[in-house]
Amino acid sequence: MPTRPARTSSRPKTPRPPEQSRSQDDPRIMLDREVTSDLYEPVPPYPTQTEREAEFYTRGDGEMFLNVGPHHPATHGVLRLVLKLSGEQVVDVDPVLGYLHRGVEKICENSDYYHVIDHVDPLEYVSSLFQEWAAVLAFEQLMDVEVPPRAEYIRVLSGELLRIASHTLFMGFLALDLGGLTPILYSFIERDEIVEMLAALTGARMLFNYFRIGGVNGDLNHEFMSRLGDWMSRAAKQTEANTGLLNQNEIFVRRARGVGVMNREMALRFGVTGGNVRASGIPFDVRRAHPYSVYPQLDFNVPTRTEGDALARYLIRMDEVRESIRIIDQCLDNMPDGPVMAKLPRLLRPHPGRAWGAVEGPRGMLGVYAISDGSDQPFRFRIHDPSFMNLEVVPHLLPGNLLADTMAIVSSLDPIMGGIDK
Amino acid sequence: MDRSLKRRLEASLSSQLIAPIRQRHDQTEIRIGPGDVTDVLSTLHDSVDLRFEILADLAGVDTGEHMQVVYHLWSETSPDWLRVIVDGLSRDDPRCPSATFLWTGAEWLEREAYDMFGIIFEGNRDLRRIFMPPDYTSFPLRKDFYLPDDAARSPGEGVRHVERPYAPAVVADDPSAGIRRAPAS
Amino acid sequence: MAVDDRRPRPTRAARAAASAAESTPGSAAGAPQPAAAESQLAPLGPGELTAPIVVPNTLWRATNPLAYDGGRPAEITHLREFGLTDAGRRDDARWGAFQVVPTTADNILDLIRSNSLWPLLSGLACCAFEMMSGATSKNDMDRWGMFPFRASPRQADVLIVAGTLTTKMAGPLVRLWEQMPEPKWCVALGDCTVSGGRYKRSYSTVQGIDRVMPVDVYIPGCPPRPEGLIYGMLQLGQIVKDKRGRWPEREIGPTVPEKI
Repeated sequence: MPTRPARTSSRPKTPRPPEQSRSQDDPRIMLDREVTSDLYEPVPPYPTQTEREAEFYTRGDGEMFLNVGPHHPATHGVLRLVLKLSGEQVVDVDPVLGYLHRGVEKICENSDYYHVIDHVDPLEYVSSLFQEWAAVLAFEQLMDVEVPPRAEYIRVLSGELLRIASHTLFMGFLALDLGGLTPILYSFIERDEIVEMLAALTGARMLFNYFRIGGVNGDLNHEFMSRLGDWMSRAAKQTEANTGLLNQNEIFVRRARGVGVMNREMALRFGVTGGNVRASGIPFDVRRAHPYSVYPQLDFNVPTRTEGDALARYLIRMDEVRESIRIIDQCLDNMPDGPVMAKLPRLLRPHPGRAWGAVEGPRGMLGVYAISDGSDQPFRFRIHDPSFMNLEVVPHLLPGNLLADTMAIVSSLDPIMGGIDK
Repeated sequence: MDRSLKRRLEASLSSQLIAPIRQRHDQTEIRIGPGDVTDVLSTLHDSVDLRFEILADLAGVDTGEHMQVVYHLWSETSPDWLRVIVDGLSRDDPRCPSATFLWTGAEWLEREAYDMFGIIFEGNRDLRRIFMPPDYTSFPLRKDFYLPDDAARSPGEGVRHVERPYAPAVVADDPSAGIRRAPAS
Repeated sequence: MAVDDRRPRPTRAARAAASAAESTPGSAAGAPQPAAAESQLAPLGPGELTAPIVVPNTLWRATNPLAYDGGRPAEITHLREFGLTDAGRRDDARWGAFQVVPTTADNILDLIRSNSLWPLLSGLACCAFEMMSGATSKNDMDRWGMFPFRASPRQADVLIVAGTLTTKMAGPLVRLWEQMPEPKWCVALGDCTVSGGRYKRSYSTVQGIDRVMPVDVYIPGCPPRPEGLIYGMLQLGQIVKDKRGRWPEREIGPTVPEKI
C-alpha cells in the first residue's frame, strides 16, 4: 500500500470550514471525497470483462467489498468469495475459483489408463474411491470388461465406508464453521477409524489407488475384517451420539434452519446433485435413477426432505449414514467368493469410442466422460464434479442473508475444492 | 440400450441430426451442428415425451481437427443417458450458443470450457476465466498446448506463468508427431 | 502474439453481427485467438521450440536455474536474463537491505519457542486433512504445544504448507509468508510442496514451494501419515533448538540440511 504524504507544519494554517480543517489537521481522518482510486488497488485490478462482472463490481450506495480470501479458516480449502455487503447483509457474491487448479485432465491425457486412476484420486480427496469408481466405470465400458461379483461387492463396501467417513467429516466442518470446536474432534476420531480400516485394505490412508479396471487391487484381509467388525459393533450407537451432539443443540439448529433455502426449481436449473438436491425435494440418486454395480440387488432407502435449508441438508446426510450402515451389513452378508480382478492385458488399448460413467458420491453425481482413440492414453478425460455445480448456487443463495450465515450456507453444500478446481 | 428413445429422438429431431443415432451400453448419442443447439436443447428439455430436464455435464473436446461441445442429459422417461455432441466448431474461432437459457448451472461449465479450450458461448453473461488467472493467454486443454517433459522446464519455476510451454522432442519423419487427433468414428 | 483477455468484449449484438459478417476465421473483431493460430497448429520440427511469452514477475524472485540442471544445460533464457546471483536466493532479497537481528535473549527464547510452535492453518489440498488428523484426538500435536492453528499469519510461528501450490495461489501464499513476523519457520508437507510430486508435468503448479520461500523441514509422502508430520515437527523443534539465535540465515531454493 503506498504511504500517505507527510503533513508538514510549514503549511499556513488559514481558517477553514470545520470538516475541511479536521481532515487537513489530522491525517488519520480521510473524508469520502478524498479517497481516490490511486490510494488503493481498484477492485478488481483489471478492467471488467463481462456483463456480470461489471454488474457485480459496481458499488451501490453504502456497499462495500469484503474479500473472504483464498486463505481463510472457514472456506473449505482455497475458495475466494468476494462479497458485496451492505452493512451485515450480503448483496452479491462472486466466487473466484482456480486456486487449486492442478491440470489433472491434461495430465490424464498424457498417462496410461492405469495411471489415470491414480491421478484422479486427489480431486475429492476425502472420498477418493468414488472418483476412481467413476473413471473405472467409464473405462470398463470402453473395454467391455466384466467385473467379477466379489469385486463389485468390495467396491460397494469400501465406497459406503468412505461415504460414512465423508459425511461425518461434513458434520464436523459444518459445526466448525458455525463456531463449534468439539464435533470436529469426534468426526476425526470416526474418520481415523474408517481410514485405518481402509489403509489395512488398500495400503493408503487417503489417496487409495485401489480400484482397477476390471476389479479391485487386493482381496479382503484379516486386519481389515477385524477392524471392520470392531467398528460395526459400535457404528450405530456412535452415529447416534455424533448426530445427537448437534441435533439437540439449539444454537446450531437456529443458525441452520431456514438459512440458504434452495427450492426445487433452482436445484433443477443448476444441476445440483446429491444430498443438496434431495434436501430440496427431488429424489434424484444415481444409485436408484441409473443403477450401477450391485446396487439393484441391495435394499436401501433414499432419504428426501422438502425444506431445502442448511439444516435439511445436514439431516439428509446423517440419514444417509444410517442407510450406508445398512448397505454395509447387506454386503457383508451377501459377499460371494471368487476372483477380485478380471483378466486383462498389461498394456491396455481400448477400441476407439466414447463412454460416460456416473456414480453417486457423497456430494452428488460424479461423472467421467472418456474418449479413447485406440492408443494406450485416453484422448480426452473429462471429470464432472458435483461440488462444482453445488458451489454454483452460492451466488443465488447468499444474497439477503447475513454475513454470519455465509459460512453456514457454503458449508452445508459440502464443497471440496480439489474437485471443483480439478 | 433404449430402442424407444431412439425412435422418439428420430421422430422429433431427424432434421437436425448430422449423423445416425448411436447406442452403446446405456448411452445414446446424437450429433448436431452448432446452429441447431438452441432448438435441439429446447426440444429435448420441453417436449412432453422427452423431458430431458437434468443437465449432467457440459464438456469441451478438441478432436485435433474440430472442437466439440458435449452435453450429457438425463430424463425420467428413459433409463439411458443422452449424449448430445455439437460437432464442427472450428479450431480457430469456436463458437456455440449458450445453454444458460435452459439451465443456469451451465454458466460455470461454459466458463470452464472457455477457459480450457477457448470456445465462446454466445449468450453467456459471464464468460471469463474460471480456473486460470484472468490475464492468462493460453487455453491449456487444446491439443497444441503441450505439457513439458522435463521438470526443469515446467511452468512453476518462479516466473508467474509460462505460456505455450515447449513441445516434446519429436523425430522429423515420425508420422504420429504433432497434434493428437481423435479417431474418425 | 499474446491474446489480451482484458480487451473489452463486444456485446452480444456486436458479436452476432461480427459472426454473421465474417467469412474467414480469425478476424480481428471477434476472434479470441491470435492471428498466427493457423501456423501454430502445424507440427513443430525437432529443433524448433516455441518461444515462451514472459510475463515479468513482480511477486517473487526466481530460483537459480542451475539448481535444476540435471546434466543438461537449461534452455530457458528468460531466467538467466533475470541475472540471478546467490543474493537472489536469500529470503530478504525482496526487502533489499532489510535485516533482522536476533538478540542474545533469543538464545534462551528459542528454547522456549521450540516447545510452543504455533502453526498457521495453510491447508490447501489433501495434505490438509492429514495435518488436521495430526491435530485431532488420535494423533495429537497438542502434546508438543502445537494446538492452536492460528488463522492469522501475524500470530503464527510455523507455516505448514499442506497441499499443492498452484501459480494462482502462489501470490497469496507468499504474501502470507511475508506477513508472518520473525522468527518464522516453514514446513513443506507432502510431495506436492516438496518437489511438485505427482504434478511434476502440470502447467499450473509450482514445483515445490522451495522455489518461492525458504523451507526448513521437508516431509515427503502422498499424503504423509500424521505420524510422519509429527516426526517432522519434532525435527523442526530440534532445528529451532540447534540454530537458536541464528534464524535469519535462510535461502530460497532446495537446501538439504546437514543432519537429517
